[in-house]
Amino acid sequence: MNLLKGMFGAMITVGLLSGCGTSSEPSAKSAEPAARANKTELVYASAKDINDMNPHLYTGSMPAQGIVYESLVENTEEGIKPLLAESWDVSEDGKVYTFHLRKGVTFHDGEPFNAEAVKKNIDAVQSNAEKHAWIKLSTKIKETKVIDDSTFRLVLSEPYYPALLELTMTRPYVFLSPKDFVDGETKNGVNGYHGTGPYVLAEHKVEESATFTANEKYWNGAPAIKKITARVLPAGETTLLALQKGEVDFIFTDDRGADSLDVEAMNGLVDSGKYQLVRSDPMNTKMIVANSGKSGSPAAETAVRRAVWHAIDRQTIARDIMGGTETPAETLFSANVNYAASDLTPMAYDPGQSKRLLEEAGWKADGGGQIRMKEGRPLKMQLYYDSSSSSQKTQAEFIQHSLKEIGAELELVGEDSSSIANRRATGEYDLLFNQTWGLAYDPQSTIAAFTSDSAYKHTTSGIADADKLYDMIDEVMVSMDEARRKSLYADIMRTVHDEAVFIPLTNGSVTVIAPRGLQGVAFKQTQFELPFERMSFE
Amino acid sequence: MKRLLNLGRDKLAVLSLIVIGSVLTAGIFAPFVAPHDPQQVNMGLRYAGMSSAYWLGNDHLGRCILSRLIYGIRPSVLWVLVALLASVGVGALLGLAAGYFREKIDAVIMRICDVFLSFPGYVMTLAVVGILGPGLENILIAFIATKWAWFARVIRTSVMQYAEKDYIKFARASGIGHVRIIRTHIVPAAFADIAVVSSSSVCSMILQISGLSFLGLGIQAPNPEWGMMLNEAREVMFSKPQLMLAPGIAIVAVVSAFNFLSDALQVALDPKLGASAESRRNKEGKQARYEYIGS
Repeated sequence: MNLLKGMFGAMITVGLLSGCGTSSEPSAKSAEPAARANKTELVYASAKDINDMNPHLYTGSMPAQGIVYESLVENTEEGIKPLLAESWDVSEDGKVYTFHLRKGVTFHDGEPFNAEAVKKNIDAVQSNAEKHAWIKLSTKIKETKVIDDSTFRLVLSEPYYPALLELTMTRPYVFLSPKDFVDGETKNGVNGYHGTGPYVLAEHKVEESATFTANEKYWNGAPAIKKITARVLPAGETTLLALQKGEVDFIFTDDRGADSLDVEAMNGLVDSGKYQLVRSDPMNTKMIVANSGKSGSPAAETAVRRAVWHAIDRQTIARDIMGGTETPAETLFSANVNYAASDLTPMAYDPGQSKRLLEEAGWKADGGGQIRMKEGRPLKMQLYYDSSSSSQKTQAEFIQHSLKEIGAELELVGEDSSSIANRRATGEYDLLFNQTWGLAYDPQSTIAAFTSDSAYKHTTSGIADADKLYDMIDEVMVSMDEARRKSLYADIMRTVHDEAVFIPLTNGSVTVIAPRGLQGVAFKQTQFELPFERMSFE
Repeated sequence: MKRLLNLGRDKLAVLSLIVIGSVLTAGIFAPFVAPHDPQQVNMGLRYAGMSSAYWLGNDHLGRCILSRLIYGIRPSVLWVLVALLASVGVGALLGLAAGYFREKIDAVIMRICDVFLSFPGYVMTLAVVGILGPGLENILIAFIATKWAWFARVIRTSVMQYAEKDYIKFARASGIGHVRIIRTHIVPAAFADIAVVSSSSVCSMILQISGLSFLGLGIQAPNPEWGMMLNEAREVMFSKPQLMLAPGIAIVAVVSAFNFLSDALQVALDPKLGASAESRRNKEGKQARYEYIGS
């Protein structure tokens, strides 16, 4: 009996790996996804529940919010384009924005979309301003005015050049039906999730699935994909099995930048003939963020940060760990980002240089141990990674080994992505994995976030000229002079580059695995949304 | 001692002993046995197959799987044994006291045991890990804290059988001290039960520690551990399933060996199950079979 039980136990442990989350429910969808004609449904796998869909808060899933809610204007490759506003005028002094709203648009619950609704939404966001401090527009809005039913005016306290850019973002400046407001506010929860977007949230089973159906009255024509289901599945092999069985047929890089499948598994899916793999252009920079503001931590020293930078072999990470799907990044912003500085001194992979830097900074490798010491403190840091990202753990272990070679010890801690975000906000970290926010947000929002407590304040506060940096950031956001902005951005980027607080790894992109027959798989200018409404089956 | 020698006649037990013995030796002398540094990253050998230099191939960072397996014996088996000894030690001490002195001491200790036993083992372990944070030490602490009660209860029952025996009463009447009675008369008699119950517990503890490491709660990277190796292999289980074999087989082999050994020990030490004429005389000895808790 003992024996049997023991054997059984052993089997269970070994059996754990066969993915306990995979349900064996008989599914009508188990037919090959690509083989079905007239298919109008997509089921995507997501490691996280869609959570609170309130678009004026930050806990919801961005891809889901992106298809339910819309903003006034849209960010495209060609620049800012109309969305809910058909056109707009900006006053000479750059302070007054007048939007001419699209007529005949209704919210999912039938409420008309008009200037009144716009005002209510923006006022609701503004009444919770501290939550939105990362988006600088929230600190500049002075007045919201309804001119007539389809004209809305936004008055800023000072000129702010990225105002329109920030209005394009997935949140918070998107529009929820005023009927869903609770006491005229949204910050304490809402009654429903009715936006104006191409999809309507039909059903939400917490931690299980969410169903979105096409908005047949969508102002831009009803989308061809009639039903989208977001299924919560643990990342990795469970998702892979679900894809193979056809329980889900669509996955993409999630909004925290974690790909749920490893590269070979994705290639295997493509080889099976049922799926296509579509990869966007580089969207962001994956990086390690160093906490320069944590006194007592070795990461607060410029020399240590630069040593870490030199010790990382980005080529190997891009080629071997990422399977050649990403390119090594040498600077915080890649060259295709607006205002990206081009005169930064590259800090190439050079462990010898790392050792020299550490020696010069007083981190000595004597005392017999492998770990360098300075004033009795060991060169030891903690690196936090997202435990649901398979590539981050591998990179972390690789970097840990590289740093050991130069005499630094790295302790790896895998945590939930929201807990990592929390650490970033509270400053309880030495190093953590992060990524820039993508083309729509780079550089202005990412740089504005350098000063934001909830984002990179801790990262940047310890550098020598922090105050000067913050002044430059404040100035660049209000500067109306293109040349001046350019030179300010260059200075800001040079400062953080030389201080090595953002240690770039690779340029990441958004990856989509979709059924072979799906047409129109494209990307937006942001890694956080996908244009499902433009997709269709052939 | 003579009864222990019976073990030698059981071929399966001998085999198990050999397996366990060699695993423990390999774990203790890991630096000499392992062909490579288990943490040596070599990206050029990522997912390389078996070769003469790397007998079991390389993992996702090009580390030697065989070396990792050998170093993994330490947390997976050796530290589990240490935790087991500690909890058996605590359990034996309290169990002896409760079983021998009875009355109030017994009542107090047993009520504490009740409290500890009323929580499922895994839940308690997870709670301790949640409070103290992930890490091998914390899991071992959790093991000791949650398992001693079980040992105390079993050992108490075993001691009680003997504590009422006439020869104990005589010993007491002739004025021999409690400690000496326990040491010379009770411990040797109860030792068989202690050995059996602890050997069968090893298996569940090995499995639990591998399970927790599999979940990322146990030992932290880059230190090798069998459960963690399984988890690392899981990410590529469809493209490279062979990576699961080494740690998987290691766990199954060691757990089976401990189980066979524990069964054999039981047969060898239990007078009723034993075949010798001497032990057949003892007909009162109530057969007690213990199954380990958990998993």
